[in-house]
Amino acid sequence: MHPFDIKTVVFAKHAQHVVLIHFPIALFIIGVLFDFLAQWKTQRLLAAAAYYNLLVAAIATIPVVLTGILAWQWELEGQKLKGILLMHLVMGCVSSVLIWVVWLIHRRTRRKQEEVLPGYRLPIEAVAVVIVTLTGHLGGFLSGVNGPG
Amino acid sequence: MRRSVSIAGLAAALLLGTLGFGTGQKSYVASAQEKTSTMEVKIDNFSFGPVELTVPVGTTVTWTNRDDIPHTVVSTDKVFKSKVLDTDEKFSYTFSKAATYPYFCSIHPKMTGKVIVQ
Repeated sequence: MHPFDIKTVVFAKHAQHVVLIHFPIALFIIGVLFDFLAQWKTQRLLAAAAYYNLLVAAIATIPVVLTGILAWQWELEGQKLKGILLMHLVMGCVSSVLIWVVWLIHRRTRRKQEEVLPGYRLPIEAVAVVIVTLTGHLGGFLSGVNGPG
Repeated sequence: MRRSVSIAGLAAALLLGTLGFGTGQKSYVASAQEKTSTMEVKIDNFSFGPVELTVPVGTTVTWTNRDDIPHTVVSTDKVFKSKVLDTDEKFSYTFSKAATYPYFCSIHPKMTGKVIVQ
């Protein structure tokens, strides 16, 4: 195991995907929570906090998707996935797209300097939180967080 | 005439005896091979069982995934590598050289095992 071999650094016994994934999950869920609170309390500060959390969550999806796909291509040699692995890949991609969509809705409103965010974003955010949570659950199941040691 | 018949009979008996002995030897070797030709490693609860397996040269080791989630069997020295094994799927490899073969699951690198071929 060479410490400067890219495959070693990214995967073997040091899998970055399972480390990095916590950032977009946490940032997105907190971002949505701030957005719901901003809507309820009508506070600009909470809306700003939501926007920046969603922005960093969206950016954080890039290395996560990248390391996930590289793990598939390098460790599993890109073989055709099925079962939980396939479900995790599809739901992970859908989750990433939804995180970006939610952030883009917020960004568009800010760019147009509109006062009120569109109401339709709230059900999209709620659905996205559910899908992100399910994807994380599958990932946890796959990574063996419930296993011994 | 009688002498030649008895010589022929003796030769036939020797031939049959030799053949019989040969067959007996073959079946002994075959049964010995059957005893050691296949070994099982069970994958369950995020571990290989047995973790360390000692086998003679020529043995085929079969890994069976009894876990609910997918696993792989990958030799650390890149000697063998399975596809992703879903529940109840198997992977087999025949060890033709005496050596120690450490392996792991590439999805869960903490899962490790070893096959010692003697």
